[in-house]
Amino acid sequence: MQMGKKKDKALNESESTIDMKPMIHENAQFFDKLVELIPARFYLPDEKDKPWFQGLSKAEKASAKKQSRENIKKARRDRLDPEKSTKTTLDLLKENLEKEKSNMDSDGEEKEIEVRPIMSDLDGGEERSVTYEELRGSLRSKIEELRGSRNIPSSDKGKKRKNERNDKKGNLQKKQKSDGVVEEKKIDSINDEHNVEKDIVEEAANKLIFSRVKLGDNEDKREDSKKESTKSELLAKHSWKSAMDRAAGIKVHDNPKLLKQSIQKEKKRHQKNAEKWHERVETMKKLKAEKQQKRSENIADKIHQKKMLRIAKREKKLLRPGFEGRKGST
Amino acid sequence: MARFHNRKKKVFVKPIVKKNQQQQSNVDHITGNKIPKSFVFSRGKLPGPLRQLQMDLRKLMLPYTALNLKEKKRNNLKDFLNVAGPMGVTHFLILSKTETSPFLRVAKTPQGPTLTFKIHEYSLAVDIAQSQLRPRCPQDLFKNPPLIVLSGFATGDEHLKLTTTMFKNIFPDIDINTVKLSSCQRIVLLNYNKDTKLIDFRHYSIRLQPVGVSRRIRKFVQNHQVPDLRNLQDVSDFVTKAGYGSESEADEEAATVTLTSDLSRVNRASTKSAVKLQEIGPRMTLQLTKIEGGLCSGEIMFSEYGNGGDKRKADSEEGNGKEDGENDDEMEDSEEDNEGEDNEENIEESDED
Repeated sequence: MQMGKKKDKALNESESTIDMKPMIHENAQFFDKLVELIPARFYLPDEKDKPWFQGLSKAEKASAKKQSRENIKKARRDRLDPEKSTKTTLDLLKENLEKEKSNMDSDGEEKEIEVRPIMSDLDGGEERSVTYEELRGSLRSKIEELRGSRNIPSSDKGKKRKNERNDKKGNLQKKQKSDGVVEEKKIDSINDEHNVEKDIVEEAANKLIFSRVKLGDNEDKREDSKKESTKSELLAKHSWKSAMDRAAGIKVHDNPKLLKQSIQKEKKRHQKNAEKWHERVETMKKLKAEKQQKRSENIADKIHQKKMLRIAKREKKLLRPGFEGRKGST
Repeated sequence: MARFHNRKKKVFVKPIVKKNQQQQSNVDHITGNKIPKSFVFSRGKLPGPLRQLQMDLRKLMLPYTALNLKEKKRNNLKDFLNVAGPMGVTHFLILSKTETSPFLRVAKTPQGPTLTFKIHEYSLAVDIAQSQLRPRCPQDLFKNPPLIVLSGFATGDEHLKLTTTMFKNIFPDIDINTVKLSSCQRIVLLNYNKDTKLIDFRHYSIRLQPVGVSRRIRKFVQNHQVPDLRNLQDVSDFVTKAGYGSESEADEEAATVTLTSDLSRVNRASTKSAVKLQEIGPRMTLQLTKIEGGLCSGEIMFSEYGNGGDKRKADSEEGNGKEDGENDDEMEDSEEDNEGEDNEENIEESDED
């Protein structure tokens, strides 16, 4: 009704109100912009049959759901795809009106109304396509640049490295470079070798080692050494092993000279002990012999003494003064 | 006649026999392992600051070291070795000076490996005490051996592994079941920086401070000094005044521990205490230059500058002649090493762009 009134006014006052037209055009543009802001599914009447899932069987429901999911995905892809021009609400409105027009008999009013959205649509569309073109072109040029200067082995590793690097450096870089996501991937994939080493080393370096702590079973268990092929490797390994053991307090008997010395020491000690034993045995024998000799002497002496006593006794009888029995006296 | 008691009580004074030498056991009766003992001495004439550094190192290694070790000019390494055997000394720390820089050699006695460190920088204990506002040295700080923490050494290189083993075994073992918390009062920290290949050597004293108590109350309890209540109306003001927390209290969350036993009047069991480290003792920046298989002899198992062969430090008082030759080669090789490092750095920087 309002539009009708406007129309009448325009017709009646066409000569005096030429400057009404731009005003009206402005207003129309404003309304178009507003309409553009509204998503199409809210503004326009829904023409498709609403999907009715209730009475369907299980298989049919599943397929219908799948279909709807795919539709959603497709719609999202179409919405975000820069190549396909999105149909704004205005476009759809325009299409609807065309359809109506083709179906019904139309007034002249609707033609004019159509004209304005078309005009604004064209302008908006051009602008939009230009910006998309610009963006795509700049992105492509950057890609070409980087591709030319670097050699890219693979992009899978790049992604992994990217995650780790971002964790380490924080997400600041990532947020700032919202445009150059592709650039980052390329850079990271080059550093994969450096980073692998770095990460391992960093993690290892952060470990702390403490004083030697005595736990239940302490003694370090020696590892079995595999047999290396070359002599020099064996030697080197042995020298490191012995150094580690010595540092840990375990005695390593390595040095042939010292080993020889200790063998000789042992030998000498043994000799000395044997000598001492011999001496002891000798002295024992000697002592024994002496003692026995002394004893036998003493015994002989005693017997002798006894004999002498007897003789003395006998002689005593004969030594009496005036004894006449002596053989040798008369 | 009344008995006259001898009121002058003669207290039986046990004659104090001062044990001039601590009876040091060779075997730790708790862990059953041999206690490592050390000698710290110098080869050659050292300038003043280095002699003080030697003294600081001796104090660091207390109690299992000879504090008043006297060495004469004519003593050789062999003499020290001969004395070390009967006394049960397991490690030698030898300081020496050449024209480039001082060197510290850490050796395990009977035939052990020798690690040679070049001392790039050092600070004496007195310097550090002077730089601090409140230097702290409680009386029995050196009665117990220090703990040791090594960081950055776990990369798995052979020479680093050997270094860790050596340092771990210079100080006696800790039995976590029977160790007394009050005996852990010092800590030695060695930090390896793999980029510069330098080892930072630091020595701290450990202090436990109860957390969650306001500063005034804590100081009052610890110092027994009557606080100044002139400006306060009531004792409750003193107790409940909300003071500013000190700077260091803010970041204490990681460093608080819950004690399992009472340590002192203020640090009680199952309350939170903050572990505070205050630096004492010398500070050094070391670089591992050489590892020899024997005691200052033997084959060279690792050399920083890649010189194999027989460029050994002479064992006499002045080993300067040979040292100079070695130093020249070291300079050349170090330059090459630096160039290599620069290239790597350049690559990394450009990649980050």
